[in-house]
Amino acid sequence: MFNKILIANRGEIALRIIRTCKELGIKTVAVYSEADRDSLHVTFADEAVCIGPALGKDSYLKMPSIISAAQITGADAIHPGYGFLAENADFSEICQESGITFIGPSPEMIRAMGDKSFAKDTMKKNGVPVVPGSDGVVKDVAEAIKIAHEVGFPVIVKASAGGGGKGMRIVWEEKDFDNAFQTAQAEAEAAFSNSDVYIEKYLENPRHVEFQIMGDKFGNVFHYGERDCSVQRRHQKLIEESPSPALDEVLRTKMGDAAVLGAKSVNYLGAGTIEFLLDKHKNFYFMEMNTRIQVEHPVTETVYSVDLIRQQILAASGQKADTPPQVPFGHSIEFRINAEDPEHNFRPSPGKITSLNFPGGFGVRVDSHIYQSYSIPPHYDSLIAKLIVWGRTRERALARGKRALEEFVVEGIKTTIPFHLKVLQDPRFISGHFDTGFLDKFNSDK
Amino acid sequence: MDLNLIKKLIKILESSDVTDLEIEENGTRVKLAKKVRVTQAVSYTQAAAASPVTHQISESVSKAEDKKVVDEHAGMHEIKSPIVGTFYRAPAPDADSYVQVGDVVSAGSVLCIVEAMKLMNEIESDVSGKIVKIFVENGKPVEYNQPLFLVQIS
Repeated sequence: MFNKILIANRGEIALRIIRTCKELGIKTVAVYSEADRDSLHVTFADEAVCIGPALGKDSYLKMPSIISAAQITGADAIHPGYGFLAENADFSEICQESGITFIGPSPEMIRAMGDKSFAKDTMKKNGVPVVPGSDGVVKDVAEAIKIAHEVGFPVIVKASAGGGGKGMRIVWEEKDFDNAFQTAQAEAEAAFSNSDVYIEKYLENPRHVEFQIMGDKFGNVFHYGERDCSVQRRHQKLIEESPSPALDEVLRTKMGDAAVLGAKSVNYLGAGTIEFLLDKHKNFYFMEMNTRIQVEHPVTETVYSVDLIRQQILAASGQKADTPPQVPFGHSIEFRINAEDPEHNFRPSPGKITSLNFPGGFGVRVDSHIYQSYSIPPHYDSLIAKLIVWGRTRERALARGKRALEEFVVEGIKTTIPFHLKVLQDPRFISGHFDTGFLDKFNSDK
Repeated sequence: MDLNLIKKLIKILESSDVTDLEIEENGTRVKLAKKVRVTQAVSYTQAAAASPVTHQISESVSKAEDKKVVDEHAGMHEIKSPIVGTFYRAPAPDADSYVQVGDVVSAGSVLCIVEAMKLMNEIESDVSGKIVKIFVENGKPVEYNQPLFLVQIS
């Protein structure tokens, strides 16, 4: 087992990782930028090292600073959290070369799954259903049009090295293809220095259902069920839940088996997530694999009674997971609380928190790094807290969510708490019958 | 980027609380920085490759600035570590230290080594003056911006 872990991250996830390390008796090292001097993860770690100025690229993304910090503190492992360097293959490699265990997959694994077109190919070869489309990279428009006729319009042109909605163009009719193809390529080149694109059938308003995977060094791979993350704004998740209202036992088994098959086919180690798109007819298709712990991991922890960070650390240190999955119990929902103003197009709202009250009581969990009189720095993402509720049924979880949000007081800045309360009143959300198109409709209905 | 645009940007910067502004467009980068009290600096550099338009606004760290102002007032200047690593007074274990308290140094003289990832980084003085204090012991770890030396500016 590791003696000391350096957490190469900040905010709520850094605190989350420190908590599990403490429970495992592992010493912790926090790294921080000058803007995070007063951050909670710095206070609660055993040691802390200032690694640079405020900007991410000069601090949390600066590999030499982080490795150096691990070396001077004698850390034997680094947990990258999510975002920043969590899925950076070079960083995984540098850790390896420096004799420090990277709590995450190997550089080869990250590269393989980071190449979206290759990942899809791999899954397809192993019998995992994928969104119909091209067999890898498409070289020209003529080939693209041929494929589009095979799978049926609408199709989407996607960057192979891509993510975050960049390098993508939906094509509704053949006449739009030339333009869409070329602009997608250009955008891909600009954003990822790689103009390779592939074609997929465009599924209109599918549900986003992802499976939590865990693999160990002995070749065991299993899943901890699914999360429904269809409530998204501009491809950013806002509300997640487990189990998915759209899945029954039969579908869960089918999708779960496919997810495990996919992860096993690449000898996956550690925590990962396989994302599927689920269409209206209960057909599911592999979309991509994320090789890190995800923001929304707490809803899985809640219904499966498992500490996923603990399992990650066990897997990375060569041990077997000590909490294998059972049947999910009850229903959990996570509300991402962002420092954003929902009345003004969700514009960021950094500043000082003048008054704070976290909700509590039965079935309520808050993962957050904020405290009263804390000033939220403007340099990083706007996530300030995650509110996770549990209920025996989805109905009771919804009621608990509403009650907890009403108790959640944050003054001095704007947050998305009022927004979540509005969503909780929406009949579509309440019914459980919604898809990735829901939030756009919800926002334009107002 | 044309001169009129730069003039406009300077005016905007003058009348706002923003202290740093960097804009990159079509291979050209303009960086404007407003110093805390009086001076304004404008630098104009050409970036090597074409890149998409990006805007960066950074805010200065007020605490570090306050402390620096106090020191500057007394003619004292802190030399801080630009990187994370291990502090060494000499180029090798058996060699003489680069500097001792009382030594006079000029801007650019090497004061110490900070070792990071097996690379020995020579840290140079950014001012000329006399070493008044050495804050860190040989072989101890240092973090970003940790004060290493106190120099009385001559």
